[in-house]
Amino acid sequence: MDFKLIWLVLGLPVLGFLIQAFFGGRVISRMGAASGRKVMGWLAVLPIAGAFGAAVGITMELAKRAAEDRAVVETLFSWIRIASINVPFEVRIDPLSMTMVLIITGIGALIHLYATGYMAEEKDYSRFFTYMNLFVAFMLVLVLGNNLVLLFIGWEGVGLCSYLLIGFWYKDLANSRAANKAFIVNRIGDWGMTLGMFMIVAMIAGNLGQFQGVEGRYLSYDVVFSSTAIEIFRSNPGITTAIALLLFVGAMGKSAQFPLYIWLPDAMAGPTPVSALIHAATMVTSGVVLLNRCNVIFQLSPVASSVVCVIGAFTALFAALIAFGQTDIKKVLAYSTVSQLGYMFIACGAGAYWAGLFHVTTHAFFKALLFLGSGAVIHAMAHNQDMRNYGNLLKYLKITGWTMVIGWLAISGVAVWTFFGFAGFYSKESILGAAFGNNFASINGVNYGFYSAAVGLLVALLTSLYMTRMTMLTFFGNEERWKLIPAHSHAEHSDHAHHASHAHEHEHDHHGPDVESFFFNEEELALAHAHEDHEHHHELDENHVPHEVPTSMWMPLVILAALSVLGGFVLAQNNVFEYWLYPKGELTILGELEHHPHWHELLVGLSTVAAYGGILIGYLIYRKGLPKSEGWDLSAWNPFRRAAGNQFGYDKSMVDIGVDGGGALANFSWKVLDAKGVDGVVNGLGGISAGIGRAFGAVQSGFVRSYALLMMLGGAGLVGYLVYLLTVAQGGAR
Amino acid sequence: MYDIRPPSVDWSMVTPVVLVFLTGLAGLLIEMFRPKQNNNSIVLTSLGGLAASFFVLYGQLSAEAGETLAGMVLRDRFGILLQMALVGVCFISILFSEGYLREKRIPFGEFYPLAIWSTMGGMLMVASNSLLMIFIGLEVLSISLYVLAGLSRAEQKSEESALKYLLLGSFASAFLLYGIAFVYGASGSVHLSGVVKAWATNHANTQHMLLFGMGMMLVGFGFKSALAPFHQWTPDVYQGAPTNVTGFMAAGSKIAAIGALFRVLSESVELSQAWLPALFWVAILTMVVGNFAALVQKDVKRILGYSSISNAGYILAAILAHVKAPDKIGANTIVFYLFSYAVMTLGVFAVISMNAKDGREGTRLSDLNGLWKRSPLAGGVLIVCLASLIGIPLTGGFFGKFMIFQDLLTADMTPLAIVLAVTSVVSVYYYLGIAHAAWVAEEGATPAESAPMNAGLQVACVTCLVGVFVMGIFGQPVLNMIGGIVR
Repeated sequence: MDFKLIWLVLGLPVLGFLIQAFFGGRVISRMGAASGRKVMGWLAVLPIAGAFGAAVGITMELAKRAAEDRAVVETLFSWIRIASINVPFEVRIDPLSMTMVLIITGIGALIHLYATGYMAEEKDYSRFFTYMNLFVAFMLVLVLGNNLVLLFIGWEGVGLCSYLLIGFWYKDLANSRAANKAFIVNRIGDWGMTLGMFMIVAMIAGNLGQFQGVEGRYLSYDVVFSSTAIEIFRSNPGITTAIALLLFVGAMGKSAQFPLYIWLPDAMAGPTPVSALIHAATMVTSGVVLLNRCNVIFQLSPVASSVVCVIGAFTALFAALIAFGQTDIKKVLAYSTVSQLGYMFIACGAGAYWAGLFHVTTHAFFKALLFLGSGAVIHAMAHNQDMRNYGNLLKYLKITGWTMVIGWLAISGVAVWTFFGFAGFYSKESILGAAFGNNFASINGVNYGFYSAAVGLLVALLTSLYMTRMTMLTFFGNEERWKLIPAHSHAEHSDHAHHASHAHEHEHDHHGPDVESFFFNEEELALAHAHEDHEHHHELDENHVPHEVPTSMWMPLVILAALSVLGGFVLAQNNVFEYWLYPKGELTILGELEHHPHWHELLVGLSTVAAYGGILIGYLIYRKGLPKSEGWDLSAWNPFRRAAGNQFGYDKSMVDIGVDGGGALANFSWKVLDAKGVDGVVNGLGGISAGIGRAFGAVQSGFVRSYALLMMLGGAGLVGYLVYLLTVAQGGAR
Repeated sequence: MYDIRPPSVDWSMVTPVVLVFLTGLAGLLIEMFRPKQNNNSIVLTSLGGLAASFFVLYGQLSAEAGETLAGMVLRDRFGILLQMALVGVCFISILFSEGYLREKRIPFGEFYPLAIWSTMGGMLMVASNSLLMIFIGLEVLSISLYVLAGLSRAEQKSEESALKYLLLGSFASAFLLYGIAFVYGASGSVHLSGVVKAWATNHANTQHMLLFGMGMMLVGFGFKSALAPFHQWTPDVYQGAPTNVTGFMAAGSKIAAIGALFRVLSESVELSQAWLPALFWVAILTMVVGNFAALVQKDVKRILGYSSISNAGYILAAILAHVKAPDKIGANTIVFYLFSYAVMTLGVFAVISMNAKDGREGTRLSDLNGLWKRSPLAGGVLIVCLASLIGIPLTGGFFGKFMIFQDLLTADMTPLAIVLAVTSVVSVYYYLGIAHAAWVAEEGATPAESAPMNAGLQVACVTCLVGVFVMGIFGQPVLNMIGGIVR
């Protein structure tokens, strides 16, 4: 098989995107909603599935090669040629990119399939799949591109698609806000990302003489991370650390790390397949891919690596704690995602880049499963997302229920000692082992990697605990709580509850930038409210009977469940995943790292205890259903849970500082700096100019005599000046 | 007895001028026999004659430079290019004149011969190194214009304009003639080459006398090119004269005067240490006065009068840069700028001339309101020409200003470059003011009236539009056509 096939991988989603964009609406309107959507649905799934098939072929071809030449660069066309710089449109086929390609297209195809069912009632059916296919295309560009420019294009492209999809139901103001929030917060990450990239370019450009025979491809990975470049980085440790930290800022934005994670929970406003694909399995792991791609830079900087570890650990813990205060099933999963991403960064900081990507892979399996499962639950429960309305759903949703149970066990890291474990067990184990066992991420002898791993172990316990809470509240317990909602009275009730967790956002609605009706005028706001009211027609109440989802939706669940059970086990055999990414487990600079601390067995014991312990505690608390202390009455909640529900006030303070503070700053710069300062200067200058003009105009009396007088005076002046100049010149000559 | 050997004359050098002269004559003859109130035959004859002259000139573009008629007539690329520009200006002016004159109720046939002879005067001015020839050309140009300015006899302001122009123009001519006399006295020659010879004697009194004469001549040329402080006639005359005359005056008379000024200055480079600092201040003063005074004007033609003053300042700056570093900077910037100035300013005047109807004409800014509704083509041409006058990229005006700027920096005359840039920014206000009046401001209770565009006007407008874009987009090829006139 030919590596040229990679253009098929990249081209199919683009083709799908074009078909959806240009023919989707027409096909659906001509063939009628039902059959049209069916056709377009398949036309959306097939390109991704086809890309997956081609990617499998390429990966197998790649695997046949010797470990050291598993990197093929394919160039499609010469893209940018300015002076001596040459940026071709080129892709890099190597284990890292192909791993991601398989995840993106494989999981992507499953989620697309699921979405054909989930979105079946959607009016803008083909718009949804337009964005989805475009997202896949951009994500592929991100991971496949062989230079920083393509990486950036992909990076921004997926950001755009994420924005479009979060705000897919844009008529709901909250969704638009969430989309804006995601987009704006990611700008901060992009600030770091671009600066980091510019600094890399500057480093290369400053030492062009050392690069021979690269045909101006100064931005391509094979040049940027060549041994020559590594030497340049090595001799500038300060700058290298700065680059690493700036790139990590970019990763923090895209991969939702503290302090920039705040956009991801809000991003759950998008349709659930979007949450599964973009905000769990693929896009949010871009940061981990970036760190893997640029690993030599991080290997050269223990300081930056320590920062990565600490941020990762803190994010993991912080998000896990917040998850306890959430009642929205998707919010729980969102914080869980943030927390798991933190895990991945612990691995990358500790030097176990492969373990980070391993967790990306297993997490893609079980988190996609959990999101899709939650989507199925939401689908079955009339789009009510509050777990307090659920309970004993396993009785109604057999397939969804059992697959989600598998996802729950996988994320909790359940295992039978080391003989067999669910997917999460292996990746979590390798992260903790590497972080405990190495001392790479150290500053001044303090091994931050170790402490981060210790936090990670605690988070493992918390993870299995909050996931147990979610599973128990949803699927187990004897009460079917939605039956307690009397028909016709629920709207106010559940609305209130629903809004409780958003209280801070809505509060900020009323004194945000809309004070000047800048973003939305009153009419639009009224329209948005009318729309919201409209949406609550089909509501959950005592008469509701949940139904299992259609085949197109449960099929992906089953496949993902199988992967969640077996994926980790298979990939961990004989270090196959690690050696695939990093042959012989050796890093370019650090060499071979420890996989485990010498107290390996104790660690396995501890993580097993954490997994089972969390489940046990959770079972004891939630076996009877919803405890009073977590019910509808928020005042009965203990202070910790209330604080967790509000993200410990972090999001609110960020929004206050960022939005209101920014608004105040903007108001200041508008009303004072601009209106008084700049306008003052401008108008002043204009006034002065007009004054000068009027003065000239005053000389323009209209009388010929005065014109002639001025001409004569001017002539006398001119001649006098000439003669004066000549006299001076002649005087000087003498 | 006497062996009289008339010098051999190269008649081809004077052919274009003679052609133009004969065209005017033919026009006058036809005027006597034409059917009443019908100028069509005159217009056609005039256009034909001008076109013929244009093509003769074009054919001579690459001809060898030289002088004939005892140094009275000079032929070089610079002169031919400016003559072509003059003929072109006259052609475009005539294109939109007939309709305007009819609407204005002054369809006098003598307009055409006068405009053509005026053009002839300009052609003589730019193609001679003889001060006498230049003076005669200037007078032919001016006297025709005095009459043309007063063409609208019923209007007081037209009369006033003509009279002012005549009085002040005579005053300036006196300066010029007096200056020529002094130069002749000092050098014993009316040919510019004599000036350099006389200067080279290094005799202090001769030099003083020469320079006094030069100064007087500069007053005369300064008046004609509208340089401050000899500029005050410009807005008054521009405003009062019929619009088509103003357009012709702005473009044609400017080309001729600048051409002559350029001849005088570039032939007396040796004296430049004396006059360069003085003209440096004249250039600055002109740019400042022209641009600032335009800010508070309310009449479009007056604004364009001040705009004409500012542009004279820009071109003077370009001439100074050329004279200061003739080895590095060619005169092609000057020619290019004159070309682009001619098309963009004619374009604006052509559009403005639309406002005449039934003997009345509104030229205040408010009279332009709603123009884009009345004629989208006129509105578009107006905005493009204004953009070019401002100096927005893709237009000839941008390219020209850019080259002047570049020349000034190359010639190490940064202060002029700064004044050019700053005053150009100031000029945005009043140019946009015109565009605003035509495109944005709403019409009053009684919408201004305008005649529909006739074919001639349309052709004139489109020609200017195309010219502005061609010079902006294909600036380099046009420059190549002009050729590097480096001395």
